[in-house]
Amino acid sequence: MLSRALDGIHILDLTQVAVGPYASFLLSTLGAQVIKVESNQHPDITRGAVEPTGVEQLKQYPGRVPGLRPWNRGALFNQRNRDKLSITLDFSQPAGKEVLKRLAAICDALVENFRAAVMDRQGLGWEVLHAVNPRLVYLKLSSQGNTGPERNYGSMGSTLEQTGGLVSITGYRSGDPLMSNETYPDPVTGIISVGALIAGLRLARRTGKGCLVDFSQREMTVGLLPAAMMDYAFNGRVQGPVGNRDAVAAPQGVYPCAGEDMWIAIAVQSDAQWQALCQVIGNQDWTRDPSLRTGAGRRQRHDQIDAKLAVWTRGFDHYDLMHRLQRRGVPAGAVLKGSELLVDAQLEARGWWEDLAPPEVGKVHRFVTTPWRMSASPFRPSTPAPSLGEHNDTVYLDILGLSRAEYASLQNAGIISTEPRWLRA
Amino acid sequence: MADTERILGDITVLELSHDIPGAYCGKLLAGLGARVIKVEPPNGEGDRDMPPFAGDVHHRERSLPFLYLNTAKQSVTLDLALREGQQILRRMVAGADVIVESFAPGILAKWGLDYTTLSSLNPTLVMTSITAFGQDGPYRDYLINEIVAAAIGGLLYTMGLPEREPLKIGGDAVLYNAGGSAFSAVMAAIWQRDVTGSGQFIDISIQEATATSQIHSSIEASWIYSNPGRRSSVLLEAKDGWVAVGVESGVSAETWPRLCDIMDRPELADDPRFATTFARRDHREELKAVVSDWVRMQSKEEVYHLLQGLRSIAGYVATTADLYRSPQLVERDFFQMIDHPVAGPASYPGFPFRVGDQPWMQIRAPLLGEHNEAIYAGVLGYSQQELHRLHEKGVI
Repeated sequence: MLSRALDGIHILDLTQVAVGPYASFLLSTLGAQVIKVESNQHPDITRGAVEPTGVEQLKQYPGRVPGLRPWNRGALFNQRNRDKLSITLDFSQPAGKEVLKRLAAICDALVENFRAAVMDRQGLGWEVLHAVNPRLVYLKLSSQGNTGPERNYGSMGSTLEQTGGLVSITGYRSGDPLMSNETYPDPVTGIISVGALIAGLRLARRTGKGCLVDFSQREMTVGLLPAAMMDYAFNGRVQGPVGNRDAVAAPQGVYPCAGEDMWIAIAVQSDAQWQALCQVIGNQDWTRDPSLRTGAGRRQRHDQIDAKLAVWTRGFDHYDLMHRLQRRGVPAGAVLKGSELLVDAQLEARGWWEDLAPPEVGKVHRFVTTPWRMSASPFRPSTPAPSLGEHNDTVYLDILGLSRAEYASLQNAGIISTEPRWLRA
Repeated sequence: MADTERILGDITVLELSHDIPGAYCGKLLAGLGARVIKVEPPNGEGDRDMPPFAGDVHHRERSLPFLYLNTAKQSVTLDLALREGQQILRRMVAGADVIVESFAPGILAKWGLDYTTLSSLNPTLVMTSITAFGQDGPYRDYLINEIVAAAIGGLLYTMGLPEREPLKIGGDAVLYNAGGSAFSAVMAAIWQRDVTGSGQFIDISIQEATATSQIHSSIEASWIYSNPGRRSSVLLEAKDGWVAVGVESGVSAETWPRLCDIMDRPELADDPRFATTFARRDHREELKAVVSDWVRMQSKEEVYHLLQGLRSIAGYVATTADLYRSPQLVERDFFQMIDHPVAGPASYPGFPFRVGDQPWMQIRAPLLGEHNEAIYAGVLGYSQQELHRLHEKGVI
């Protein structure tokens, strides 16, 4: 009986920053043992500068205080790297490459999100590691995929939104295209890549042979806008931004509420919901206009409805209004700020958040958990994100089985170290 | 390739879903070789009414989102509100491995089709329920859609411009993320079942899937007690569209001077306002002004390729038309030509990942009830007379 879905699976995690760590964190919540391979010279940038200065850099530390070892205290690093073992390894050196191969030999899977050619240039790409461990499943999370003329182009979540088509359909009506500023392709890729890796594991188990799982973030992003893509393929129409509306709901939009920058999203998707909304509004004269009884009529008068609604919603607290509308069967959602999301009643009741005090932070913080609740693989309290090289002894001596002499020699050569040696800026 | 050679070739899925999340989960499973049977009401699933339509003709076989979401699936019709429909479903469950459903909490229980009942018939069953807010809690009976999910999931607030109302991501990206979440959870449950022989219940809350995908609002609020807000756009207008140049992020030391040469402004290479990454971030607005004069005269794809060549992380705002002719997507065979008896042939976007050499199952979406014969007669053994009677009574 497995207590969690991926118990017994060992994953070598070379990921950094966002998309990769999302994936490997979610894999660890399913019970996989995740060994995060870090570098003393080129760390995960979410570890921050060795001596951070300036408003932008200090923002990520608790209360903006970097503390004694800032590289263990950053918000993003702590959120995305819970439950992982951290080892350091300089695999730009030949001796380091040999160690990486030995680690790959004892793992079921490897995950990385470097630019396409990086691992190949290190002599540690898919073909090489497949020869070292023929059963290894190699999940490659790249911007554009493992092949193609743009395979070596760099990206961030924000550029993927652009090159993946999402930005072209995001924007205020009659306005310019806009990015989401949430680097949306990163977390979504992290979530879907869990299923992708497991597909690879299942194939490897059946055939006895490992495989490369070639995940293109750009292709994933294009897959988030199929209605617009198919509209072009079938109808030759190039869709652009439509603001907060869609083709069916009317009215739909984001309306101002009481307080500073407080909003509510409302979506009326049927005539019955429109009637319900009118009742909550108190059947004011303007709502009784018979031309508004049908969706077509409401779509035609959408601007006027929006203007009236905005006047009305301003008098309400956004949560209060959400409950009033939802209790009458009208889809509505308070637009939650981060601080509100942290204490939302539904998420609290479901016990969705994780409260954890990372030791070098010394204070409890609230962290996201998983987008699923599995009855036979429940979420367990995480161990905090590791300090740099925290598990070098455990992994190198106990798991990999290096002799003490070998281990000492690698440390003396600087291949393994817990000292942060990256440049300051 | 024989079905059994496909990654999920041994898996049968019953899909009882309306709207995007369940259908997208089912699409990915079908793509990996699972036999996915869409169980639709006799008048067709709600997704068949989603616009846009092929040729702009509103018809239940012409919905473009439906055609995309339901590739490689089978379709049977069944009225689950009727006792006899529920009985038939229970018979189908005996031979199924996975159920993906998105009824409001409590509906399937009312019909004797909840996990407790079905797992007693089939203990290996993996059942995934995708709902607005999950199976319990104070918002359990609330309704959700794309924009409401973005709002109550903590994603919407930071999107859009500072001086305006929050703005949703275009299309249905948030609902697709919920579908992707269900897919990954189902894969994990299948893997676990491969080892233990037991199924389980998976509870997907669209609010929680969305809250998982907001990457900095909650952590910043928790860590530094302030809420990130909306920011102005960094996109610059080119001759034929929009780009992001990327020089305000980390670039190699030679990138900025080389760009200055290309822009024919070599004097800017030594300008202290732009000399380092941090300097460029601090002088963002001035940088924007200087670079946008040049960008305005170029085509967006030229800017993209040129700057990527200089190792700057640049992007261009690709439209759907641009994507269909992108050399990168075309060379990777990302698009697949699929024909359909009513909607006709067209080029469909493909899948987010490739597993080894395994091709994805990319065949057309089913017509309504197309597989009633094959499944009710062929698998469950109903005679033609019985099928006729069931149809007359509105059960199928």
